[in-house]
Amino acid sequence: MDAPAISTEHLSRRFGDLVAVDDVNLRVAAGQFFGFLGPNGAGKSTTIKMLTGLLAPSSGRMEILGLDFEKNAVEVKRQIGVVPEGMALFGRLTGAEYLNFVGRMYGLGRDTSAKRSAELLEFMQLVDQPKALIADYSHGMQKKLAMAAAVIHGPKILFLDEPFEGVDAVASNTLKSMLHGMIARGATIFLTSHVLEIVERLCSHVGIIYRGRLVAQGSLEELRAGVQAQAQRSDEAAAPAEKLTLEEIFLRIVGGSRATDQELSWLG
Amino acid sequence: MAGLNAASASLPSPGSSDQFAAIAQLRWRIFVNSLRTIRGRMEVVSWFFVGLMFAAMGIGGTFGLAVASWFLTSHHNPEWLALVLWGVMLYWQLFPVMATAFTESFDSTNFLRFPIRYRSYFLIRMAYGSLDPTTLIGTLWLVGIAVGVGTADPGLLPWALLLLATFGALNILLARAIFAWIERWLARRKTREILGVVFLLLIVSFQFIGPVIGRYNAHHGPHTRAVAPGVALNLVAAEEFTPPGTVGAALGAASRGNHGVAFGLWALECAYAAVFLWLLDLRLRAQYRGENLSEAAARAPAAALDKAAVREGFALPGFSAPVAAVFEKEFHYLSRSGPMLFNLVMPLVILFIFLLGPSNPARRAHEAGFVTFAFPLGIAYSLLILSNLTFNSFGTEGAGVQFYFAAPVRFRQIMLAKNLMHGLLMAFEFCLLWVMVGLVRRPPSIGLTLATLAGALFAALVNFTVGDWMSLYSPKKFDYAVFGRQRASGTTALAVLGTQLAIIGLCAIVFAVAVHTGRMWLATAILLVFAAVAFGAYLILLDRIDAVAIARREAMIAELCRTQ
Repeated sequence: MDAPAISTEHLSRRFGDLVAVDDVNLRVAAGQFFGFLGPNGAGKSTTIKMLTGLLAPSSGRMEILGLDFEKNAVEVKRQIGVVPEGMALFGRLTGAEYLNFVGRMYGLGRDTSAKRSAELLEFMQLVDQPKALIADYSHGMQKKLAMAAAVIHGPKILFLDEPFEGVDAVASNTLKSMLHGMIARGATIFLTSHVLEIVERLCSHVGIIYRGRLVAQGSLEELRAGVQAQAQRSDEAAAPAEKLTLEEIFLRIVGGSRATDQELSWLG
Repeated sequence: MAGLNAASASLPSPGSSDQFAAIAQLRWRIFVNSLRTIRGRMEVVSWFFVGLMFAAMGIGGTFGLAVASWFLTSHHNPEWLALVLWGVMLYWQLFPVMATAFTESFDSTNFLRFPIRYRSYFLIRMAYGSLDPTTLIGTLWLVGIAVGVGTADPGLLPWALLLLATFGALNILLARAIFAWIERWLARRKTREILGVVFLLLIVSFQFIGPVIGRYNAHHGPHTRAVAPGVALNLVAAEEFTPPGTVGAALGAASRGNHGVAFGLWALECAYAAVFLWLLDLRLRAQYRGENLSEAAARAPAAALDKAAVREGFALPGFSAPVAAVFEKEFHYLSRSGPMLFNLVMPLVILFIFLLGPSNPARRAHEAGFVTFAFPLGIAYSLLILSNLTFNSFGTEGAGVQFYFAAPVRFRQIMLAKNLMHGLLMAFEFCLLWVMVGLVRRPPSIGLTLATLAGALFAALVNFTVGDWMSLYSPKKFDYAVFGRQRASGTTALAVLGTQLAIIGLCAIVFAVAVHTGRMWLATAILLVFAAVAFGAYLILLDRIDAVAIARREAMIAELCRTQ
């Protein structure tokens, strides 16, 4: 059996007394489009930062493409692409300069880097303002550029932290088309998003983290079946498995219905 | 009310005093919370020492100005207080612009998201923007002047208090207006560049005053010189209507019992304050209305990018692709930064002015020592200025620093590329300095040139070693578009000062020994040994820099990615 693209064993991260990520055992097979979900503050970004080398775990192990991250950090980074929370752009460069820079940092030759930069700028429809600095780009343009930079070296795994946040429908369509193309060519994508409809449409597998703990993991069908089985055990009414949306699954797992029990009468 | 829900409709209108109290509490909590980290505590210690320096400046100045004011008033020359007040005003207005590291760093525009009235916003900007050391020292100095005037002539004290209070308010308003307008101009690249050139010309023109007067005195005959007092008298007459001159003239009029004139001059002072208030109000109102200073809106449509237009990056023979890529990135950043280009030009301008000097042969003889050592002195000065680049290498990267941690590169490659860029800049600057000394006076001797270059090599390597370390341990986000609301890390400021004092002191001792023994080669040899030791230390640091960077990554990302 092939090594999973991403696997963690007892991965934990503490910030003082706060346990942000608690004993997470994650397995993402190669070629999966994996959605990593959780409420605000559940530990999604902390996990993705650890998996991409931006944050050190307090304990536990991480393997990317079968390589121990701590021991092979540079080799692992060569195989992955990242769009982190703050996008990691250099505001005083133009889009073309930035992509060229990133390509060369990943070891691409000068000509290859320049060629791919031009192709990516065109694909992402960022060619209208060749002399504009990134600092002057709109948020959506910056997001597209960050995405282009993350894939310029042809990564085997792509980590995306909220890739569709603040992106318009046209740009979102462009990004989705690129991601589908990558999956078709065998890449693995690990994505966090608050927009459950997008995750439901894009991802084949989902992991749900809640209060730092991985509370569910599997394909959408497996999660639906699990929720329905749980509902039957507790004699709760539940829609047929095939009709359960990801939002319903998510809310059942993280107990989101609690919020509706309260009433903020002063809201009018 | 239609469209307004019950919750917000029933809200009482927020009181300004409550909002002020909330902001004061916010700032206090930010300060207290900053003490949770070692770096935060170190910052407080650093600022304590900086504070001592300012306290000495404030108290010493107050005492000196009190004595000067007492002297002028008791000798029936209160008009001459204008000179003293010119000094206070120039300090008040120019020091914050030149040393933004020591100014207020809190961005009050963030409060605009709250239901805050314009009047409250204005007062917040005035109150919290005026708590910087410059304002406190300026106010203290004015108190000193009032005490001096009051001691010499108690009858003048009410007038002194009224006029100096107005003068203080005028300075506060003008300083805030200058900051607000400079920030407006710095927000757009084009105006930023124009402002950079204007500022440079201003500095250069100020520096030329001394040499021009010297040459004027030397070259012009008695007839021309006779005209000069007339011009000067006209200037003095005009000066009476400037803000400091008005205060001096009003005090003079009041001391002669001419209270009507004094009142008129005070009214003129108030008019100045009103103009500055209006200028500040223009800017703050624009901010209050939600002005967007982004350059995106001002962009002109440009031609689409041709595939061929993405040119290949720099190639650095003997260096890996990541080193070349970071080197090129640094080049783009430096070439697009007005302040950095300003740093490059300033040493040349200052040295040129000193070399120009007076043409008086007698005074020239005294300057022989300076001319002989102009090259090493110019290099020492340029190192002092250029070291700012190396001590906060990641300051301008912002969130981009995350890329360095996510990319398959070693930090030693990144630091090497940055040091290489900074080293080449220094070498370029040194060549220009050498050529300038040669062209304006005479080329430095070979012995002195070699000794100076050995010293520069030593200084550069020490700067890289300490600077790389400080860049990782004490990074501070730096934004070109924000003026006067960001300051350097206090720890870094102290480290820069300490390092430069140590380097310059050591080199001065070596040069003194060489001059005393008449063997300049001795200085070259000693400084090359120092450079070799510094190079060893630099290599050791480079070897360990990856481990340090990894250990510091969370703190670095947190500091450089912060939005406030």
